[in-house]
Amino acid sequence: MIPSAYSPEEARGLWVFLEQEAGRLEGVALELLGKGRELAQARGVPLTGLLLGQGVEPAAREAIAHGADDVVVADDPLLAVYTTDAYASVAAQVILDRKPETLLLGATPNGRDLAGRLAVRLRTGLTADCTGLAWEEGTGLLLGEVSGFGGGVMASIKCARHRPQMATVRPGIFPPPSADPDRAGRMEFVPVSLDAAKIRTEILERVRHEGVDITRAKVLVAGGRGVKGDFAPLTEIARLLGGEVGASRVACDLGWIGRDRQIGQTGFVTRPKVALVCGISGATQFTVGVKDAGLIIAINSDPEASIFEEADLCVVDDLFPVLEALIAELRGAA
Amino acid sequence: MKPLDIIVCVKLVPKPEEVTVNAETRTLDRAKARSALNPPDMNAIEMALGLRERHGGTVSLLSMGPPFAAPYLQVGLAMGADHAYLLSDRLLGGADTLPTSLALAKGIAKIGEWDLVLCGEESSDGATGQVPQGIAEWLGCSQITYAMDLSFLPDGRLRGEREIRGGHEVVAVPLPAVVSVKLAVNEPRFMDMERRRNPEAVTIWSAADLGVDPKWLGFEGSPTVVGAVWQAKSPERQRQFLDGTPQEKARLLAEQIRRML
Amino acid sequence: MSEAGVRVLDDLVWDEVTAATQGAAAPCFQCGVCTAVCPWGLVQKEPVNVRRLIRLAQLGTDGWGEAIWLCTTCGLCEARCPRGVPVSEIILALRRLAWDRRAVPKGLPSMLWAIHWDGNPLDQPPSQREAWAKGLNLEPFTPEHELLFYVGCTGAYDRRTQKIARSLVTLLRAARVRFGIFPDEPCCGESIRTVGQEEYLAEVVAANTERFKAAGVRKLVTVSPHCLDMFRSHYPPWDGFRPLHYTEYLDQLVSDGSLRFKRELRGTVAYHDPCYLGRRHGIYDAPRRLLAAIPGLTLVELPAAREDALCCGGGGGRMWLETHAGERFGDLRIREAEGTGVEWLATACPFCVLCLEDSAKVLGVERPRVVDVTELAVRALGEASS
Repeated sequence: MIPSAYSPEEARGLWVFLEQEAGRLEGVALELLGKGRELAQARGVPLTGLLLGQGVEPAAREAIAHGADDVVVADDPLLAVYTTDAYASVAAQVILDRKPETLLLGATPNGRDLAGRLAVRLRTGLTADCTGLAWEEGTGLLLGEVSGFGGGVMASIKCARHRPQMATVRPGIFPPPSADPDRAGRMEFVPVSLDAAKIRTEILERVRHEGVDITRAKVLVAGGRGVKGDFAPLTEIARLLGGEVGASRVACDLGWIGRDRQIGQTGFVTRPKVALVCGISGATQFTVGVKDAGLIIAINSDPEASIFEEADLCVVDDLFPVLEALIAELRGAA
Repeated sequence: MKPLDIIVCVKLVPKPEEVTVNAETRTLDRAKARSALNPPDMNAIEMALGLRERHGGTVSLLSMGPPFAAPYLQVGLAMGADHAYLLSDRLLGGADTLPTSLALAKGIAKIGEWDLVLCGEESSDGATGQVPQGIAEWLGCSQITYAMDLSFLPDGRLRGEREIRGGHEVVAVPLPAVVSVKLAVNEPRFMDMERRRNPEAVTIWSAADLGVDPKWLGFEGSPTVVGAVWQAKSPERQRQFLDGTPQEKARLLAEQIRRML
Repeated sequence: MSEAGVRVLDDLVWDEVTAATQGAAAPCFQCGVCTAVCPWGLVQKEPVNVRRLIRLAQLGTDGWGEAIWLCTTCGLCEARCPRGVPVSEIILALRRLAWDRRAVPKGLPSMLWAIHWDGNPLDQPPSQREAWAKGLNLEPFTPEHELLFYVGCTGAYDRRTQKIARSLVTLLRAARVRFGIFPDEPCCGESIRTVGQEEYLAEVVAANTERFKAAGVRKLVTVSPHCLDMFRSHYPPWDGFRPLHYTEYLDQLVSDGSLRFKRELRGTVAYHDPCYLGRRHGIYDAPRRLLAAIPGLTLVELPAAREDALCCGGGGGRMWLETHAGERFGDLRIREAEGTGVEWLATACPFCVLCLEDSAKVLGVERPRVVDVTELAVRALGEASS
């Protein structure tokens, strides 16, 4: 067995990595604080946030308001934007120093970029892209619930002897906690001694596609192959209901709409109050991305489409006449 | 620019939709599942072949898996890869991402000359997406994950466009580097049938060839263990079919939606 | 072609093109009938210049461009060509060269990968291949069976055309035919051939031939005329191998009295000739006799029928490529059928059913309804279907 950097006996506490962008905590960081609070309480350990960035003190305060007992802050100009080298180096050093028992990260592109690198540097186990977290009865080990094989198979994974037990958590799975601005917590700034010459990645350009985050939409109007490239009525319904437009993988593959709106296994897992699923047959690949929706409405001309197995309200009909009638209904009410 | 030696790490995976869980034994039933090369790995091969077309050099495939993976590597050779290596040994079985990335890193070092390692972003079976970063760490080189496009800057650094949450960024890293390639960023070319008819042999290496303590490999070298396995179930839905004209249906839908909001 | 219209003959290209087309273009005397009759002229401002493609092939030069991918291999030009030039074959040969140059439309490599990994061009799981026959309790083929029912990929996977396959099962059972289906049925390779991947096709055909021979396959009935064309014209014949289209086979069953239509089906029907049944294999009368055998049904001929029939747009690999709205041959065919006032537009090919029905939907045409011949025949059985 590859020896662990430190032993379970030395390890203490539950840590969550607080991904931030321009000094603001990412949604998944808040979700981790919420779930982390619950897990820390159950185990009777403090919840510590690990926050790397530049000028992130307000974010540290935000983290405390959302449930962190302590926030370990590494604040440095070289941490302003995420790079693998800088973040892995600082995070590894802090972790080896403080020996947390558990470390959770968001399964975002950068969260996973860091987690995979860090797990090997720390010679420990990593449970990737968890959709559930719990303590195992008896052992107190972290059980990460993961899915594989296109979402059809679930498994629980644990890390017995290596510390920290690491897990990345899929965004959108856990609800973000509400903030308590009066909540007390400790902020601790750790010294950073990064050598700019050792940061091999240079960021040349950064484009945030502002405004689209389908994981937070209250209403999702999703289109698939059946919309035949015409997302206009879906967009209008989303606008009328204050929601967002989402899409199946096929619709994205066909270039009808951007990947940032893709729902499902290879896209985003969403939890809207209402999902209006239009012209999507209902492959598992897609349905895992809306399975937590409050109400699922499916419209499909094929009565045998498997989406109807997963829907609350089923409309077997040609798509566009129904959508047009729905637009008229919603407009009439406005 | 000098020619590039590229290694593409690929994995043989069962077709995901055909793997089920045996309810009694609570183990995976892969008996009926056909195998294929992991889809994003195909995109990585295509990206490597495209780079070789532009810059010259070689493309080698590296995989860890059972002996029956060899013919699948020949599919990659038929696409245009120059060489293929398979790490195959019982001692390598049951590995999680830590020993997997170690074995692949050792395999890469054993191949010898290389500038760039490409991997698919994640496998469609385990879906961890952590192996490429692990390889980069074992090899001590830079990494670009979730790459959508690769090219070279005049100074010889690798320029990669990668996905970030809610957007993308363009980064530059020095070679050597490990890159994970996003699914569906290109359309993998089909096999060249002349190459397919004259398949090159796949070099097979055992665990001993890697020069690693066998205790660091496979199941034994894995810090994580799989506890329970079960079939994913979607929650019961109402499955209420609406009747009437499109207008009548739309009215019912609007009512139900308003009730939820 | 360069601005001045001058083409430089490149020896390598010449060798390549002449080897690929095997001199098939030689008899062409450039009369241009092919260009004049090509259905693309009906939906695009510029017709596909078939004559020019053949000229380039004669000259052994390239520069044929995207036009080679438009051809649906409908064979209308071949039927009219005074010199008997095999235009489709020449175009498929040029497509083959385009593969060597990796100048193929997006989506086609993925379609071939789907056949390679999953055994069908629709990118569907192999384990679902027999889902179309759910509840039918079909027997796996043995040499004791009268025939092998070859459903084909589209019949097996497409929800609409699964109904055609199930109707055909009902008809065969009504006629007490003992048949089996092939376990783990392989793709016949039609989509490989029509996109010009001749070498991959050879591999698939060789493997399938071996499997069919070993299983003792002799009489084989296909749902699709495209599969029929493969088995009849592009597989090496073996002793006793007799591929039939279902219209031919059902026609025999009706004429020898084993299949009887007892229930009257009042109405008018027009028959759309699938290119691969009609022009490719001269099967014009069997489907018409079948329809005529249904009591009460009146067969009306479309203005363009038999040798003159307009293609649905789905052949020649076009099922796997997007045809822009407004450029679909099916639209014209639906309008043509609408003009005759018939209740049904019957055809006998899964591709035709899909294309025509798609056009009818887009145009909002509800009469005639697009049906497969089997679907009308089942209604005329007059007994509870299995």
